[in-house]
Amino acid sequence: MNATSYGFAVGLIIGLIAIILLFKYANRDGKIKTEYDERQKAVRGKAYKYAFYTVVFAQAILMWFNMTGLDLPVADYVLQFIVIIAGCTVLATYTIWNDVYWGLNNDHKKYQIIFAIAFVLNILPLVMNIIHGSMYEDGKLGMPMLNAVVIIMMVIVFAELLIKRFADKYTDEEA
Amino acid sequence: MKNLRLKSARAALDLSQEELAKKCGVSRQTMSAIEKGDYNPTINLCIAICRVLGKTLNDLFWEEESND
Repeated sequence: MNATSYGFAVGLIIGLIAIILLFKYANRDGKIKTEYDERQKAVRGKAYKYAFYTVVFAQAILMWFNMTGLDLPVADYVLQFIVIIAGCTVLATYTIWNDVYWGLNNDHKKYQIIFAIAFVLNILPLVMNIIHGSMYEDGKLGMPMLNAVVIIMMVIVFAELLIKRFADKYTDEEA
Repeated sequence: MKNLRLKSARAALDLSQEELAKKCGVSRQTMSAIEKGDYNPTINLCIAICRVLGKTLNDLFWEEESND
């Protein structure tokens, strides 16, 4: 393992710990786990199913690219990451449009703050790498592309949340 | 099929969907889906709703056959 791999592994562990602490902060009851009601659990089950299909399909395409010897200007680990993010985006999209994105104990405002911080933490390294011209590793788009992919997902999810909120204002039925 | 009996029982107690949902431990969207007939709740949730609204399962969830 080289220094980059060690750095990535340490970053992953720190990231996991940070996520656990952030969940504790962002849930109203201080629990790490988000609570869902029975309908939410059922719909989220479907969302996970579609996310799984997406990952399988995307992974199959990657395999085909590999078999045909197609050389993309993107590092392999970035392609794998795109597959993961594609699954996450499908999960988020399905849950947003079926009103099960937010759990019962989620504090929306705190999540929005975390969302904003995560956005900044991803856009800063990306901008710095663009400025320094270090987007490429061995002629292929490398590590900074991970930030770009996360930003794209965040923009999609944020836009969907806004559109859904706007749409609900006109369609919600309340006596 | 819309559950108008649930809607009227809720309105009779001057409860919003949000308030009833909170008392039953579900989301407002779930309560809305039940009223619209888009979601069939489990018996446990039906009982929870009945308890909050002071009604029986028959009052709110039993579909009476039409004699016509």
